[in-house]
Amino acid sequence: MSEASANVWAPRSAWAGYAKPGRHGRSQGEAGVRLTLRDGIALATVIAADGQTDALRALVSERYGWTLPEPGKSQVSRERGLVWSAPGQWLAVAETRDALRELPDVFRGIAAVTDQSDGRAVVRVSGPNARTLLEKGVAVDLHPRAFQAGRTAVTSISHIGAQLWQLDDAPTYDVAVARSFAGSFWSWLTEAAAEFGYEVEQGSAH
Amino acid sequence: MTTMTLKRSDADVAAEIPDRSQAYRVAKGGLVDRRKLLDFSFDGTSYKGFQGDTLASALLANGVHLVGRSFKYHRPRGILSAGSEEPNAIVELRTGARREPNTRATVAELYAGLEANSQNRWPSLAFDALGINALAAPIFAAGFYYKTFMWPASFWEKLYEPMIRRAAGLGRAANAPDPDTYDRMHAHCDVLVIGGGPAGLSAALTAGRTGARVILVDEDFKLGGRLLSENQWIGSQAGVEWAAAALDELISLPEVRILTRTTLFGVYDHGSYGAVERVSDHLAVPGAHAPRQRLWRITAKRAVLAAGAIERPHVFGGNDRPGVMLAGAVRAYVNRYGVLPGRKIAVVTSSDDGWRTVTDVLAAGGQIAAVIDTRRSVPQEVRRAAESAGATIITDGYVAGTRGHLRLKAIEVVDSYGGAQTIACDCLAMANGWNPIVHLDSHLSRKPVWNEDIHAFVPAAMPLGMVAAGAAAGSLTLAQCLATGADVAADAAKECGFERKLYPVPSTEAESAAHTPLWRSPRIKGKAFVDFQNDVAATDVELAHREGFRAVEHLKRYTTLGMATDQGKTSNLAGLSIMAELTGQAIPSVGTTVFRPPFTPVALGALAGHHRGKEFRATRHVPSHAWCEENGAVFVETGLWMRPAYFPRAGEKDWLESVNREVNTVRSKVGICDVTTLGKIDIQGRDALAYLEKFTANPFGSLPVGKARYAILLREDGIILDDGTIARMGENHYVMTASTANAAKVMQHMEFCRQWLWPEFDVQIASISEQWAQYAVAGPKARDTLRGVVDPEFDISNEAFPFLASANITVGGGIPARLFRISFSGELAYEIAVPAAYGDALWRAIMQSGTPHGITPYGSEALSVMRIEKGHAAGAEINGMTTAADIGLGGMLAKKKDYIGRLMKDRPGLTEPDRPTLVGVRPVDTSKRLRAGTHIIALDATPSLEADQGFLSSVAYSPSNGHWIGIGFISRGPQRIGERVRAYDPVRNEDFEVEICSAVFVDPEGSRMHV
Repeated sequence: MSEASANVWAPRSAWAGYAKPGRHGRSQGEAGVRLTLRDGIALATVIAADGQTDALRALVSERYGWTLPEPGKSQVSRERGLVWSAPGQWLAVAETRDALRELPDVFRGIAAVTDQSDGRAVVRVSGPNARTLLEKGVAVDLHPRAFQAGRTAVTSISHIGAQLWQLDDAPTYDVAVARSFAGSFWSWLTEAAAEFGYEVEQGSAH
Repeated sequence: MTTMTLKRSDADVAAEIPDRSQAYRVAKGGLVDRRKLLDFSFDGTSYKGFQGDTLASALLANGVHLVGRSFKYHRPRGILSAGSEEPNAIVELRTGARREPNTRATVAELYAGLEANSQNRWPSLAFDALGINALAAPIFAAGFYYKTFMWPASFWEKLYEPMIRRAAGLGRAANAPDPDTYDRMHAHCDVLVIGGGPAGLSAALTAGRTGARVILVDEDFKLGGRLLSENQWIGSQAGVEWAAAALDELISLPEVRILTRTTLFGVYDHGSYGAVERVSDHLAVPGAHAPRQRLWRITAKRAVLAAGAIERPHVFGGNDRPGVMLAGAVRAYVNRYGVLPGRKIAVVTSSDDGWRTVTDVLAAGGQIAAVIDTRRSVPQEVRRAAESAGATIITDGYVAGTRGHLRLKAIEVVDSYGGAQTIACDCLAMANGWNPIVHLDSHLSRKPVWNEDIHAFVPAAMPLGMVAAGAAAGSLTLAQCLATGADVAADAAKECGFERKLYPVPSTEAESAAHTPLWRSPRIKGKAFVDFQNDVAATDVELAHREGFRAVEHLKRYTTLGMATDQGKTSNLAGLSIMAELTGQAIPSVGTTVFRPPFTPVALGALAGHHRGKEFRATRHVPSHAWCEENGAVFVETGLWMRPAYFPRAGEKDWLESVNREVNTVRSKVGICDVTTLGKIDIQGRDALAYLEKFTANPFGSLPVGKARYAILLREDGIILDDGTIARMGENHYVMTASTANAAKVMQHMEFCRQWLWPEFDVQIASISEQWAQYAVAGPKARDTLRGVVDPEFDISNEAFPFLASANITVGGGIPARLFRISFSGELAYEIAVPAAYGDALWRAIMQSGTPHGITPYGSEALSVMRIEKGHAAGAEINGMTTAADIGLGGMLAKKKDYIGRLMKDRPGLTEPDRPTLVGVRPVDTSKRLRAGTHIIALDATPSLEADQGFLSSVAYSPSNGHWIGIGFISRGPQRIGERVRAYDPVRNEDFEVEICSAVFVDPEGSRMHV
């Protein structure tokens, strides 16, 4: 207990102890999958108050220029956005914690906001084999005819509850699982990705 | 063994000395790659084969027909088929950890170094001691086990069954962990095509050309189905070339996915299908990071069943002799593998297509011993090739028996005049018509129907979205396969929203599927098998008939017909037809048994995939997990959670010593425990309070902002659902905890209440269990310890932050946190929560801050000891059978509000005065150890159910009291404090005196929590 108290208060990545940055799995050629650890991401559950969905729709449109996503849809621009997550319920996402700090005040009386930034372990999955990799675990059809950028699915992967949303047509996905499951999820993810070769990189920190 | 006199001649054995030079490989032809010579071994003998061989074709190329011993009689068995229907050639592949029993040699792809062994024989394949069973065949008939091993009943499990299993045995599983990995994949498509033969290829091309998403699945390693095994032409191309061109085109279509080496093994509801891809079974060892097999779950809008058909054997004496094969298999070995399965090949046929075997064998340079057609007349054009080769032709005849021991040497033929003759041959090809593969379309409990034209069952009502084509639909000729495949696929694509477009079907040669099956030979010499794999003979079907097991399901179970791993692919119809004949019924009147998944055996490893060993199910880690691991915590699995149970220190001799030290430290100094596993629920909205009041049984109306209160939740039936705490964080904002075990159930209950019972309430609930790391900090020095981590602007003195206070605070210089002054241990205690990313930091900071105060981490064991010392109910008491009154909390229930469970808790049985109620128990002799589950009886009672007065639900060694203590439910317990009773434990043979006491063993006034 001799370390200085100043450095005790560092946040710990949800993936710490499981994910190791660098190249893993098949070593030949370009890595088929890139896994970016999204520790800095900000998340909040937004639940419309009783009868306030239209007001919420108007507010997000006016203030942020977003369309309130319909079921199965997401609207994430570079900075911030909303991902549908249940009837009358959305996940607000942002690249920085600051970006969501105003939400409880902005939505007061219209929607309940609950911080979930630390409640989920989020990993960005990209690279040439990203879709194939996720198809190993996701029972939802991810083919471009069925699922495109701007779509989300609340599903399970490897018997672990998961939500994923597709960011672009590359395709790139963000996948979120409950934080306490991070180790088991990582074990599945990396076993599934090994045949493609995968690169792990640290995303932006807190 | 010396007393055994097996009927075998030395000449038989001599004839079996294998030729290792591929002497049966024809000079050219076939689809094997003759430049790639592969070494392999069978029963320790080395052989050579070619790339493109199966183990079966490579063995036949080397003249090896004897590959196994039968299940019951240990009869010598050879290779019957060239496909997945194989009942005989079942072998053990590989060695060591990869050893794999019961693999069909006919589908095992040859690779360099393949090691195969025959199974079910001892000491060797050629000389099998249990071949004596064959001589005793009369007593091993159907029902033998049931009749013989009846008494005494206990002998069945301990003696008879193990003995029978050892004798019957079907190979040995590896006895080391499987070193390979098994992958899983989900796939979706518009049109799934099952089978890559002519019908399947035609279907896949037709659907694929429309742009539809198509998945083509075939169990073979090469696409083409029967086209690979027959000499047939499509347009100006050989069938094989057409198949190759079709494959090229399919590969060029971007939305077509081709899965070879993949068996579609099951059809499930709503268009979902199970398939297993043998990714690396054709390799000695999977490539780096490659799985051994991959399980596919396919969801398809439409499916074309083009699984083909299976040829039927004839039933005659000795039809299981090595060398007796299906005619289609003989053509497969000749045409596809370039192997002649014999020097002199005889053909017994009931169909026109059996005669094709003659042409193909002759073209490959083989010799035709004879052709026996069981029909009276055979069209001239069908007979022509055999006639011009000068082969003996017998019509209206049949095979009665076979000769030879380990290998066929001759057949005994009866002609139309009843004259018998023996014809020397070393291979007999049987053609008795084809059965469409109706397994898959029957998986959803649909029964196939009899088609008199082809004398076979064909698919009838199909699973939703599935349609059959080609041979699987009973359309047996090549022209029909191509046409029906294209036709149904065009419809399927259209139904998926694509344009229906048919391309001209290429021309094919004239072909006849005419046949008149002979279900069994009129006279049979020797044992005539119906089910080769389970050793069911025609006489067993007769026996079942005589003994009254005539219904098809009885026939199956009495004889085990069709119950082997091949599910009777080559045998079911033969058995049914004999029963039909015996009962004077038509075959369809006998009916069929149920086809179930999987179509062919699937390795359990493929089904388990990633989920084996520690990955059997997911594991959840608490935020302090890393620190706990670093500091030698012993973990315990609590549901999916890994919780630290206790933290042993050097010199402590057992868990109890560690736990006692942790308890004593908490009670005298301070301790920290990770309670993140509690369910945590965020409740917001204008009607949050009204909602809370409805689902909690104690009142919350008076709870001010900044306070927490114990909460009791009842089920609708008045029994306790769970307990927890609710803290009011703002005017319309509450935070609730639920117990670890019930976290999900409580959340589900609250969602049900919100969405269904009271949708009129404006309330929003969200699980925050994962968002917040939460620690209990307990003990006289808890406040001093927390003072070191809570930011200085927050006053946590007893005056400013008394018992049951709650607040939003910050720690570590601005990190948001929540502080609750609640106590489970009975000491001055807090629960402090931070966003989970700071959980590790907070734990370390508290350990650092608490070091001067003598802090200890404590685990779930000490937590449990302290709650028992305080008489707090937990999972063992809130067990789905107890009321609030039972656990002593009846007085807390609200009188002035309505809530879930209010009326039902007052049912007569639940308010009965004699009901066992929570009290404490301590041993009179304090050296005695109490046990959970121990029953309580009166001092003078004779133990009996009637004398039972209750039981102990939780016990612990209480370091605070210096002896074991218990809490439990005793009839009228609270009125009997001080009374002595007996703790009676018949399970552990214990019976001693105890005293009923208060359930609170430490600080009964509860003053410590308030300091």
